[in-house]
Amino acid sequence: MEKICLVTTEIQKRFGGVRALVNGTIQVRTGEVLALVGSNGSGKSTLAKVITGVLAHDDGQIIYRDEPVSYSNPMAAQKAGIMAVYQDLSLVPSLTVAENIWLANEPLNNLGFINSRLMNSRTKELLKIFKNTFQSTLHPQAYVSTLPPDEKQIVEILKAVSRDPEVIIFDEATASLDSNQVNCLFDLINQLKQENKALVFISHRMNEIFKIADRAVVLRNGFTVGDAIISETNEDAIVKMMIGTEQIFENGTTSFVDTGDAETALVLENVENSRLSGVSLSVKQGELVGIGGLRGQGQSTLLHTLFGNQPYDGEISLFGKSIQFKHPKDAMRNDVAFIPGDRATEGLLLIRSILENYHLPSWRKYAKPLLNLKQAKKDANDVSQQLNLVMESLDSPVSNLSGGNAQKVVIGKWLMRNPRLLLLDDPTKGVDVGTKAEFYHLLRELTNAGTTILFFSSDDQELLDLCPRVLVMQDGKIKADLSGDQLTESNLISASMGAHESVKTQEEYEHA
Amino acid sequence: MPEKKKINIISWLKAFNKKYTIGIPLILLILSSFIFFSLQTNVFEPGNISRLTNSNFRTWLPVLLLTMGQGLVLIGGGIDLSNGSIVSVGNVLLALYVTSADEPWLNLAIVALVIGFGLAAGFLNGFLAVYLGLQPVIVTFATSFIYAGLALLLLPSPGGAIPRDYTNFYRNTQYLAIPISLIILMVLLLIWGIFRHRKYGRFLYAVGGNPKAAYTTGVPVNWVKISTYVLSGFLASLGAISYSLLTGSGLSGSGADMMLPSITGAIIGGISFSGGSGSIIGAVFGGIILGNIRRIISIVRIDSWAVTLVNALVIVIALAAPGIVNLLRRKK
Repeated sequence: MEKICLVTTEIQKRFGGVRALVNGTIQVRTGEVLALVGSNGSGKSTLAKVITGVLAHDDGQIIYRDEPVSYSNPMAAQKAGIMAVYQDLSLVPSLTVAENIWLANEPLNNLGFINSRLMNSRTKELLKIFKNTFQSTLHPQAYVSTLPPDEKQIVEILKAVSRDPEVIIFDEATASLDSNQVNCLFDLINQLKQENKALVFISHRMNEIFKIADRAVVLRNGFTVGDAIISETNEDAIVKMMIGTEQIFENGTTSFVDTGDAETALVLENVENSRLSGVSLSVKQGELVGIGGLRGQGQSTLLHTLFGNQPYDGEISLFGKSIQFKHPKDAMRNDVAFIPGDRATEGLLLIRSILENYHLPSWRKYAKPLLNLKQAKKDANDVSQQLNLVMESLDSPVSNLSGGNAQKVVIGKWLMRNPRLLLLDDPTKGVDVGTKAEFYHLLRELTNAGTTILFFSSDDQELLDLCPRVLVMQDGKIKADLSGDQLTESNLISASMGAHESVKTQEEYEHA
Repeated sequence: MPEKKKINIISWLKAFNKKYTIGIPLILLILSSFIFFSLQTNVFEPGNISRLTNSNFRTWLPVLLLTMGQGLVLIGGGIDLSNGSIVSVGNVLLALYVTSADEPWLNLAIVALVIGFGLAAGFLNGFLAVYLGLQPVIVTFATSFIYAGLALLLLPSPGGAIPRDYTNFYRNTQYLAIPISLIILMVLLLIWGIFRHRKYGRFLYAVGGNPKAAYTTGVPVNWVKISTYVLSGFLASLGAISYSLLTGSGLSGSGADMMLPSITGAIIGGISFSGGSGSIIGAVFGGIILGNIRRIISIVRIDSWAVTLVNALVIVIALAAPGIVNLLRRKK
């Protein structure tokens, strides 16, 4: 019964200077679950959005049911029977659960009025798919803004399913679900498979892919690099395809200076705020500590809190002195630097020159009282050289730079202040492999020179390769402190998913 | 003990307002109406309530119509600063060309022209703000000068006279003691009520609540947003007709004072600047509350600048509220 339903050939998509997708080629068959695998920023979500008409592709071809198609908006794709469950949810917080599920697909009566009763009863019916997995009873008339992340995700899933599409793309649909909910979702997916739907499953979690998928296509840096039949392959083979032959980082944890008897740089005791629920940690001077865990577990908030960007309760002491930052400028005075994750909105003045961006945090140093441009340019050139920045001139706007080079400017502007504590908020997102390698090299040099670094990354592999010690966060708490022999991929993943649950899923996975 | 009771009332009010969204505007409406009527002498003499209601609503109707339109645009996540100027153009056209009750067809054509202008002006606003992606505040502020300039070009000095028969009909007609202005208002609210419970209503709130999510769900976001500006223009043209029937003459700046209260009324009625919440009936209540306040201020002989002050304060407070909440949270 399996037949080819949807084919994408060499799809390309560019965002400004960044190539998000260079060759997106997949084949989706009916009655089959295709897993789309790849590390963060490999182009999976972009490909999904191109297929559903959210993004327009620059080049390539989509063939759906033997006909070339190109959807200019999600409405058209939906009408043709292609739906997606999006990672960055597509819910309207000010509407209710039922209103969200049936948005743009409302059951109408003969006069064109919305049939609220039917809408609610159908919603209740749909919610039964996930029954007994909610903290409290999820009501069709509850406002989505009041729901916890997992229930929002479930609403998003039910919204896609309620439209009875032919093709469903699940983009990281399991990221915020607990194991019971994941099991319910898998039951649902299996049922849809029976109904001969074509399904695409995007996930970072290997065990889930091996549990639910029939085939896998691997994407790396925007290229489709291979595919495999799940029953004939294993995790290692797929991971190898994901990482490629290119050695980004020469297994280097040993080359770090031994921080065993270094002084303590940073101590947090029971730090709490809206997203953190009691974080305690201690970091030594010159240490490179990774922060891991699933996305959105409070990692960014922790870094923002340390940078004085978020109010908190609890004790923080830095370099032996108790501190209470109320504003980023307090943090800067204490030699703390923060490199944000979203460089376009938090890191750079895109239309201004590279030089201006460099000096934004440290122009005071050059004001004597007029700006000493000569010295400023000299320092900027030094930093550019240290970072190996590819640029036309210091005066060209940052918007001309590619993603990797733009990120270097963000780093450079803080290096000019010679920080003692460097906070990094997922800085390698959408950065090419070459730049990443340079970046790792730089971080190592900095720690050797005594800079303390806290490094949040959503890329587990990166943490494992780069950091001798990783703190795993979940629900605003530090779930595990891994170093030495304990620092393995499986420990990292099981801690990310909450040790308790993951033991179970691990067993299930082995039994399957 | 009394303190505890107070908290209960507040939490009850909150729950009521959340459930019906018009709870607080409704209470303010009753309160302000009560104050207004209690300041009148001889309220209970026969015919007085009905007379007062008529004189209030025929005066308020133009602004209330604009408030409805403004409410639609605000719920959809935009703002229309040009609705007052659209009234000016409509008023000038009517005063210039509707001069004799003996030419009903010509007059009807002029009315159609006024409505057509309202629709076209609204579409221009929507096109610029939505398709070209420009800031609605800037766009409608700019177009308001285009429309105001057009009104001034057509009628440089006040003048024109709308036939008595027409103005009297608007000013004095009552059915079952309900003035025609109030009937028009109720009919329009009823029509909106119908659309509110069809697809369009859902789309409007979804677009205002989270346009990106609405788009990925397959809602025609641009179309819905433009329609709010077109409806605002349409309601402004109705506002122009009722204003002209009220005053009987033309004035190139007639609508200038209506824009601010149209926003204030919508805000008092529970619509937020961020879009996606509130209701049109709430906006109308807000407009009536403002009307009551204006009447109360004039009865107790406070200067008329107080009216503008009230309007401006409401807007500043509504704009500042989220910021103040954040600030308090941060301080804590």
